[in-house]
Amino acid sequence: MSDLNLDKLPGGFKGMSEDIGSDQTTFKGVNWGKAMMWIFLLSDTFVFSCFLVAYMKVRASVVEPWPYPSEVFALEMMGVPVPLLLIAIMTFVLITSSGTMALAVKYGYEKNRKMCGWFVLLTAIGGLTFVGMQAFEWSKLIFHDGVRPWGNPFGAEQFGAFFFMITGFHGTHVSIGVIFLFIFARKVFRGDFDTGRRGYFTTMKSDYVAIEILGLYWHFVDLVWVFIFAFFYLW
Amino acid sequence: MAEAKKEQTSTHKIGIYLWIWGLLFVLSFFSYMVDWYNFQGLLRWSLILFFMFLKAGLIMAFFMHLFWERYALVNVLLWPMTAIACFVGLMVAEGKYTVFSRLFYFFVGGA
Amino acid sequence: MSDELNINKKTKYKIKTKSSTASGRGETDIDYVRPAELPEQDLYHGHSFITKWIFCQDAKVIGVQYTLTAVFTGVVGLILSWMMRMQLGYPDLFPFLTAETYYQMVTMHGMIMVVYLLTALFLGGFGNYLIPLMVGARDMVFPYVNMISFWMFFVAVVVLMASFFVPGGPTGSGWTLYPPQAILEGTPGSGYGILLMLISLSLFVIGFTMGGLNYVITILQARTRGMSLMRMPLTIWGIFTATVLALLAFPALLVSSIMMTLDKVLETSFFMPTIIKAGEALSYDGGSPILFQHLFWFFGHPEVYIVALPAFGIVSDLISVHSRKNIFGYRMMVWAIVGIGALSFFVWAHHMYVSGMSPWFGFFFATTTLIIAVPTALKVYNWILTLWRGNIRINTVMLFCLGFIVTFVNGGITGIFLGNVAVDVPLSDTYFVIAHFHMVMGIAPLMVIFGAIYHWFPLVTGRFLDEKLGKLHFWITFLGAYSIYFPMHYLGFIGVPRRYFEMYDSPYMTSAVGMNEFISLAAFIVGAAQFIFFYNLVKSLRLGKPAGKNPWKANSLEWLTPDVPPTHGNWGEKLPVVHRWAYDYGVPGAKEDYIPQTTAPSEVKDAEVEKT
Repeated sequence: MSDLNLDKLPGGFKGMSEDIGSDQTTFKGVNWGKAMMWIFLLSDTFVFSCFLVAYMKVRASVVEPWPYPSEVFALEMMGVPVPLLLIAIMTFVLITSSGTMALAVKYGYEKNRKMCGWFVLLTAIGGLTFVGMQAFEWSKLIFHDGVRPWGNPFGAEQFGAFFFMITGFHGTHVSIGVIFLFIFARKVFRGDFDTGRRGYFTTMKSDYVAIEILGLYWHFVDLVWVFIFAFFYLW
Repeated sequence: MAEAKKEQTSTHKIGIYLWIWGLLFVLSFFSYMVDWYNFQGLLRWSLILFFMFLKAGLIMAFFMHLFWERYALVNVLLWPMTAIACFVGLMVAEGKYTVFSRLFYFFVGGA
Repeated sequence: MSDELNINKKTKYKIKTKSSTASGRGETDIDYVRPAELPEQDLYHGHSFITKWIFCQDAKVIGVQYTLTAVFTGVVGLILSWMMRMQLGYPDLFPFLTAETYYQMVTMHGMIMVVYLLTALFLGGFGNYLIPLMVGARDMVFPYVNMISFWMFFVAVVVLMASFFVPGGPTGSGWTLYPPQAILEGTPGSGYGILLMLISLSLFVIGFTMGGLNYVITILQARTRGMSLMRMPLTIWGIFTATVLALLAFPALLVSSIMMTLDKVLETSFFMPTIIKAGEALSYDGGSPILFQHLFWFFGHPEVYIVALPAFGIVSDLISVHSRKNIFGYRMMVWAIVGIGALSFFVWAHHMYVSGMSPWFGFFFATTTLIIAVPTALKVYNWILTLWRGNIRINTVMLFCLGFIVTFVNGGITGIFLGNVAVDVPLSDTYFVIAHFHMVMGIAPLMVIFGAIYHWFPLVTGRFLDEKLGKLHFWITFLGAYSIYFPMHYLGFIGVPRRYFEMYDSPYMTSAVGMNEFISLAAFIVGAAQFIFFYNLVKSLRLGKPAGKNPWKANSLEWLTPDVPPTHGNWGEKLPVVHRWAYDYGVPGAKEDYIPQTTAPSEVKDAEVEKT
C-alpha cells in the first residue's frame, strides 16, 4: 500500500489530465464521502438554480408590479423603518457560522477534540439562530402583513409564493444541517472521531473527515443564502 | 489516516479564515449599500451580481477549500454551470417574450 | 524518484523480453501496475435473512431488486399499452374504455415506461450489478445509502400504483404533465391522481440521487489497480454518463413537481395564468405555463439520453464479445458518449417548437439538436465497423444487437426530421412523433435490455437461457415491434394526431382505421411473445444448461470472479489487477481469441497487443 504524496504530483492542467488518465481514483486524495458530498452539492446547486431561474422568469413575466423587498422586509427600529435589517443580521449570523465551521474543520484535522467540538456547537447554534430569525420573518409576513402563497397586499401574488418556497427550501436545508451539527457535536465530544467508533446506521468507522464533509454542506447552505440574498432581497 | 499525514497541507493558519471572514462582511456591507443608496437599473444589477459572485467565489475557494484542491475536482464542479448559464440566458429571453406578448395582446389590443 | 509519482506510468514493452519472471520493479518490469492507493473497503456483512435479502447492502442483490421491481412496473405499462391498442384498433368493442380512461392509460404508460422501467432498469438494475464487478470493486462505495435508494424507489412505485385507486383515478394529462390542464377539472385525475404522481416522482428523484451518487463515486474513486477510465468497458461509460445526467437533470423535474404541487394544493400561480372557467375567473393569475415546459424538458431531454446512453454502452460490449472483435474506435466511442451527454443539456426546447415559446429559440435549438446527431451517428458507424469482418456468432444476444442497430437507425433518422423546426411543425403531436420515440427509446433500448439479459443471465445465475426460445422471442419481438411502429410513421404523415381517444369521422382519419387494426394486432402478438421470455427466465433458473465460468469468453472483469455467480465481496481474497482494456479480442499471436483484462503482459509476450 503506498502513500499518495499529493505534494509531489504535478499540478495545474497537466496534473488534471494525468489524474483523469490514471487508474484507481480520479480525485487524488479525496475521501469517498467528500467526493460524494461535492457531487451531491452539484446536484443541489441545480435544484436551487432551477428555483431561482423559475423565480426570475415569472417575475419578468408578470404584468402586475412586483413588491419592493426593501420595503416588505424592513423592520422598525425606534419608529424608523430600517430596510432589510433582519436580512442583514441573518446574513451576518450565517457567514459567522460558516467561519466557525471552517475553524471546526481545521481543529478536527489537528485532532484538537475540544476546540473542534466547541466550534461545531457554535456553528449549530448559529444555524439555529438563523432558522429562528427566518421563522420570525415568516410569522411577521404571515400574521402581520397578510402575505400568503396565493396572494399578498403588496403586489404580484407570485411574490409570496416564491418567497415561501425558496426560503422554505433553504430553511429546510439549514435545519437538516443544524440537526447533523448537533449530532456531530455530540460525536466529537464523545470522542467518536478519535476512536473510530462505528456509526449506528451505516456501521462504518467515524473519522474527522466527516467534519469536513459536513462543513462542505454547511458552506453550501451559506452559498445558497448569498444567492437568495442577492436575487430575492436586493434585486 | 492518510489525512493525518497531510496535516501540513490541509490545515492552514487561522489567519486566512479570519481574513476571508472579514472580507465577506465587507462585501455583504457593500451589497447592502447598493440597496441603501437605491441604485437603479444596470448599475444596481451589475453591482449586485458582482458582489454576489465575489462572495460566492471566496466561500467556495477558501471555506470549501477549492483553492487548494486539485484541478480535476475544480473543473468537474464548475463546467456543469455552463448548462445553468445557458438555461438562465434563455429564460431571460423567454421572460421578456412572455411579458411582451401579454402587454401586446391584452393591453395594447394587438392582433 | 519513486514510481508512484508517475501516476500514468504504464508498462514498458520490449518485444521478446527475457525477463518473464521479473521480480523487482523498474524499467524492465512489463507487468508493473501502480500499488493500491487506498486500503481495502470496509464491507458490511449481513447475517439475518432480512439483512441478507430484504434490507441488503450488497449491490448485486440491490440490482436484482431494482430489476424485479422495474420489470413488474414495466409489465403494468405493457398491459396499459394493450388496452390503449384495444381502443385504437377496435374502438367500438370496449365500452368501458372511455376517453378519460384512455388518457389516464396514455399518461401512466408513458411515465411508467420512461422513468420507472427504463431508467430504473438501466441505472438501478444493470448499474448496481455490473458497476462494482466491471471496475473491480467489492461493492458500491456507500452500501447503506444504496440500500435506502432501492427502498425509496420501491415506495415511489407504490405511490404511483396507488394513484390507480384514488378517487378520480390516475392523472390523464399525458406523461409530460403540462399545466394548467393537469391540475384543472376536466383533465382526468386532476385531484389526487396528479398529486400522487408528483409525490411519486419526487420520491423517485430523491432515491435516484442517492443511487446516482453511489454509481458515480464508485466509478470515479473505487476502481481497482490498473483500471484507468480509458480501460473501462463501454457499458460503464454509458451508465456513468447517464448517471451524471440523472444527477444534473432530475433537479429540474423535482423543482417543477414541487411548484406544480403547490399550484394544486396551495393555489399558488407559478404555472397558472388567468383562467376563465365557464364564465368565471379562477383565483389563479399571472403564472407561466411555458415555464413548466422549459423546466420539464430541461429534465426531459437528458432523461431520454439517460435511457439511451446505457443502451449504447451495453450494446457496444455485447457486439464486441459476440463478434470476437474489439469495439471499433473505442476512444471515439467514449468521447461520443461524453459529448452526447454534455450536449443533451442544450437541446431541450426541440420538444417545444410549437409551444408558443419565443420564436427565436428555434434557431438555437435546431442547431444544437443537429449537432448532437453527429456523435450519435458516429457510434452507429462504429458498431457496424465492429461487426465488419468479425467472427460473428449468430446467437440470441447478437440477434438483439442487430435488431437494436436497425431500429435505432430508423428512429434516429426520424429524429432528424423532427429536429428541424419547419419539418417539425406539421409533424408535431402526430403519430410520427410516437413512432420516432418508440423506435429510438422503446424498441431499441428494449432490444439491448433483452440482449443484455441473455448475455448476463449466465453470470447472475450460472445457467444459460434457452437458445431456441430466445431466438423465437427475438424474431416475434423484432418483426412485431417493427410492424407496430413503422406504419405509425405514415399515420403521422397524413396527420393523425397523438393522444386522441378515437379517430373520428373525417376522411383522412377513417383511412387510418385499417392501419390501426393492423398495429393493434401486431401489438397483441408481440405482447403475447413476452410470455415466452418470462417462461424462459423461470424455466432456465432451475433447468437451464449450466454455464460455468466465462461461457462467452469475454474479457471484462465481471466474468473473472472466483465464484460464479459472484458472492459477497465479489473477488474473494485478492482484488483483480488490470493490465489492458476490455477489448483484446482476436489479437494476432495470442493463443486464444480473447485476452481477459487481468492477463499480465508477460503472459502474452508474443501477441501484438496494443498499448491500452
